[in-house]
Amino acid sequence: MTQTNPPFMSGVPELLLLRLLDQREMYGYELVRSVRKVTGEAISLGEGVIYPALHSLERNGALKARRKPVGGRTRVYYALTAKGRQRLDKLRNDWRRIQGGITNALEVPSHA
Amino acid sequence: MPRPDFGSLQAQLLRSGLSPRHVRRTITELDEHFDDLVDEAVANGACVYASEQQALQDLGDVHEIAAVIGERPELRSWAFHHPRIAVLLYPLVCFAVLPAVPLIAGVTNAVYLGRWMACAALSGVVTASIMLFLQLSFALT
Repeated sequence: MTQTNPPFMSGVPELLLLRLLDQREMYGYELVRSVRKVTGEAISLGEGVIYPALHSLERNGALKARRKPVGGRTRVYYALTAKGRQRLDKLRNDWRRIQGGITNALEVPSHA
Repeated sequence: MPRPDFGSLQAQLLRSGLSPRHVRRTITELDEHFDDLVDEAVANGACVYASEQQALQDLGDVHEIAAVIGERPELRSWAFHHPRIAVLLYPLVCFAVLPAVPLIAGVTNAVYLGRWMACAALSGVVTASIMLFLQLSFALT
């Protein structure tokens, strides 16, 4: 079973959620599945704990939610706002900077 | 049928300071998520009981979910963050809203109120007809 949310993943779920919602609106279950799919199952968000993350982003104005009846069920769909897009750009830049730094550190010979 | 203990989760979330509206929404979303997990497992060929057991495990323990939500102070209600102001404001708001309560109740239950008024009018007409009939009967005899 894939381990969910290891300690070093702080901030990654937020980045992934914003990235996926930048493409189209989705509901919680769909987002968990999409995260698994786009990361090749390397990252698996906790099924039950995705909602606090989504609600928190909504409270901060990064997402907006709307209820939509689908197939006899009422889904809560989340969509990215302009503020969310700005947050995504910032997180993406931060991630690339950190990723570059770690890649450099890993490529440095160990005796250096 | 095994289902997550949403009643316990609801109580924990309310105790941790989330607004009732937010708690209702969280429970609804988790409930839908559980059903989706079961449906997916059943579609993959598992029996319903096994699917529900797996969905329970995948969704996670309700105490853990409550703990994760509790770690996010931004999700707590305004009254939880400012209890003193809330204690002062709530009675004032209640007094201000009190005169409007009958009106709100009337609008909310307009259908039932309409039926009651129609019944009252009808019974008035019936009573008046009977009285008129009796009057005429006495007058003619």
